[in-house]
Amino acid sequence: MGEFAALIHNENIKIFRRLRTWIMLFILALISALFPALIHFTSNGNDVTGIWDSFQTTMAIAFFLNTIFTALVAADSVAGEFTWGTIKLLLIRPWSRSKILLSKYLSMVIFSLISTAVLIGFGYGSALIFSSSAVEPLGGNVMSWSQGEYVFLLILCSYIELFLTAAIAFMISSVFRSSGLAIVLSLSIMFTKDIFIAIFSPERYEWANYLIFAHMNLSNYLLTDTGPGGATLGFAIAVLAVYYVILMAVSWIVFRKRDVAA
Amino acid sequence: MPNTAEVVKPVASLMGVTKKIGSKTLVSDLTLDIPPGQIFGFLGPNGAGKTTTIRMMVGLISISRGDILICGRSIKDHFEEAIANVGAIVENPEMYKFLTGYQNLRQYARMVPGVTKERINEVVKLVGLGQRINDKVKTYSLGMRQRLGVAQALLHRPKLLILDEPTNGLDPQGIRELRDYLRQLCQTEGTTVFVSSHLLSEMELMCDSVAIIQNGRLIDVKQLKTVGDVLIPVGETFFEVDNPEAALALIGQGVLKEGGVAVGAAREEIAELNARLVAGGIKVYSIKALSRSLEDQFLEITGGEGIG
Repeated sequence: MGEFAALIHNENIKIFRRLRTWIMLFILALISALFPALIHFTSNGNDVTGIWDSFQTTMAIAFFLNTIFTALVAADSVAGEFTWGTIKLLLIRPWSRSKILLSKYLSMVIFSLISTAVLIGFGYGSALIFSSSAVEPLGGNVMSWSQGEYVFLLILCSYIELFLTAAIAFMISSVFRSSGLAIVLSLSIMFTKDIFIAIFSPERYEWANYLIFAHMNLSNYLLTDTGPGGATLGFAIAVLAVYYVILMAVSWIVFRKRDVAA
Repeated sequence: MPNTAEVVKPVASLMGVTKKIGSKTLVSDLTLDIPPGQIFGFLGPNGAGKTTTIRMMVGLISISRGDILICGRSIKDHFEEAIANVGAIVENPEMYKFLTGYQNLRQYARMVPGVTKERINEVVKLVGLGQRINDKVKTYSLGMRQRLGVAQALLHRPKLLILDEPTNGLDPQGIRELRDYLRQLCQTEGTTVFVSSHLLSEMELMCDSVAIIQNGRLIDVKQLKTVGDVLIPVGETFFEVDNPEAALALIGQGVLKEGGVAVGAAREEIAELNARLVAGGIKVYSIKALSRSLEDQFLEITGGEGIG
């Protein structure tokens, strides 16, 4: 019945017709445009920052915000409908709940891709303007990658982390119908995972190897073959994939079975 | 008046529907057929299980036992096909406040095939939202949101329109309009309307039949009589006379009441009885329909109990 694309279109409207979304995108653009300029004007004459260094630092900072904003959108996706009471009208259409949830999930992913594109576009553009390309070759190579490749691989790793954080937020949103809880829990996992790993080090505890915390940041594998606890990249990806499947399965099962009595 | 003996396929059938949450039974073994082309009332005090039943009918909550068929399709097993025949408002119609009324309707229009822009405009006109349709929903009054709610329910020309307490928040003018266009919808498009309410007087004016529910159980299904365009329930007629005893003897039926006689009589009979009384030398001061209102009947049936 009808076209699935229409559902995604609907969900996109719910995201992009809100002023909040545009404020978030504006802040992302501003921050990623601002940092290369700041780096440029605060560095003294001798030690000029190259374009990739400037871009890398900017991305490292701005991606935190990107993750927070995407988690916000993911958290609101299902919980918002419950809070607004609109879920009752949404679920009485000739669409299965699975497809409605899928449209919500995909539109959230689309938002994350757009926000990441804004980040990269403004960050790179600004880095081009506010750095001297003359010093570029001095940047040299990182391992077997050129510096440019390395920065984009770092961004990819950050995106994977964002993707998983958003999946956690989405799952909590679907299960507990509370966007506040979804934001707090997903972001606290993001911020405390390093502390967690420090306490329950995979080097000391075998089981800690199977925690999602140990593997969310894959950027180590760009420099070395073995990660925390002697894990390989393949192992880390497998652990993340299992967690992702579980998160999605829980979201779908709960959403499909739920009695909507809001 | 629809012939009850005639076999018509019901638009919706509730078959032994039960809803249990934990050890509490909210709706118990409810069996009910909703015949097509009617405005069918669903009456009960607060907490009787009206909204729970409606939620099961539209698939928002699961059915513990039994099944509900809509146009012959099970809402449990063939949700998408069954729900395609339904337009509904469950409790208050909540809309996306950051969108305009029109954008809200577009949301729902996209989810079903074949709803054109012309249809949206037609529905907007029907519910009388006019130019305000282009304002954000956050600026709407409750009555306007109620209208928008009806509009979204009608977009896809559903065979069955389910309205949960639609008169909540409407002013008398709005209630009257709602009544008129529900009737119009029923007559011109053949839409069956299933409407719940705890306002008895409202149901009397609106419905062809009423099902009464209390404590999760179906108590009674009543047909309301139609006279011309006005719907009145079956009732008694009171003759105010100078000599009640003589009048009672003359008529030979009915009961003696203070200052007169109450008789259960059809419309034509009333005129006839009046002629007989006058011919028998009894002064008739007034004749009035003692239509036991639905409210009286309802209170009688439910024993005026509170929320159980």
